[in-house]
Amino acid sequence: MYDVIIIGKGPAGISASLYTVRANLKTLVIGKNDSSLWKAEKIENYYGFSQVIRGQDLLEEGEKQATRLGAEILNDKVISIEGNEHFEILTSDGKFAAKAVLIATGQPLKKVRVENLELFEGKGVSYCSTCDGFFYNNLKVGVLGYSDYALHEAIELEAFTKDITIYTNGKELEINSQFEKDVERFNVVDKQVYRIDGGEFLQKIFFKDGTSEDIDGLFVAYESPSSADFAKKLGIVTDNNAITVDSDQRTNIPGVFAAGDCTGGFKQISTAVGQGAVAGKKIIEYVRNL
Amino acid sequence: MEIKVYSTPTCPYCIQAKKYLESKNVQFQEFDVSTDREAASEMIDKSGQRGVPVIDVNGEIIIGFDKGRLDSLIS
Repeated sequence: MYDVIIIGKGPAGISASLYTVRANLKTLVIGKNDSSLWKAEKIENYYGFSQVIRGQDLLEEGEKQATRLGAEILNDKVISIEGNEHFEILTSDGKFAAKAVLIATGQPLKKVRVENLELFEGKGVSYCSTCDGFFYNNLKVGVLGYSDYALHEAIELEAFTKDITIYTNGKELEINSQFEKDVERFNVVDKQVYRIDGGEFLQKIFFKDGTSEDIDGLFVAYESPSSADFAKKLGIVTDNNAITVDSDQRTNIPGVFAAGDCTGGFKQISTAVGQGAVAGKKIIEYVRNL
Repeated sequence: MEIKVYSTPTCPYCIQAKKYLESKNVQFQEFDVSTDREAASEMIDKSGQRGVPVIDVNGEIIIGFDKGRLDSLIS
């Protein structure tokens, strides 16, 4: 078991890892190079660089620094976090356990546009199968998504109903080999979705080709889960999709910390690095006191 | 003050909401809508929601674990 798993390998996550690994905490950092910082061509407002630096270069240097100090870095997507006393982290490629978790996944982005999606939130549209799956006992539900994350949600929904369709929204399924056999249990519709509609509750899903299907519930699990999605799974308090933390970067769940853009506020590299450092220090204290 | 918490055993925000009320020494009635059909339809009628938790504080309905709203209603 790891002492800490850090989700996100941006400035907040890597900064935290520098502290935890130097305190001999077994540290795993999981993330992908898909952030807006990775794509930033010019950074001029971060301390210590006399010349303009590219985001990619800064991130690569940070990763090298953490690796040199002993952190393990995994280029992978986290699909889910579960647990209370210790945490189980499921990725596309594996499963890991940790005593503490730091969420440092950056700013959650709107990933899919479907007309009326927000209108039917809580009225058929859900972002959390664990929370709301029960309401769809033996009903027809869909999962909007095309990756391991969507498949994982579909598998969780099997506890409530067998009538489950994965709507890929025109994308090809991107499923890791460990889940390949599971896909066979579900209907897959690869048409582009443009609208949902209903009365008091969701009733129909409409596709761009002019066709439609009846549906009772739609669980959104598009691309990979954001900090807001992790928060829903764990019961972390959020405010406008930003994770609420105290001055020690602690969430309301013991052992779960958050730092960087996913906590809202002033979204800068320097603040993310600072929050990561505080989180690292507090995680060390947390793990040592277990 | 009459507080009703409509929840399911697996819902993380339900667990947090109940823990929060307990930490404030506030008494509440709990309804597990996954087993109590009557409570489930009562909850949907009150909130128009198919999602938990729903918290009823003296007839004021809170959808989700909205700590700020809960604070203002229980204080």
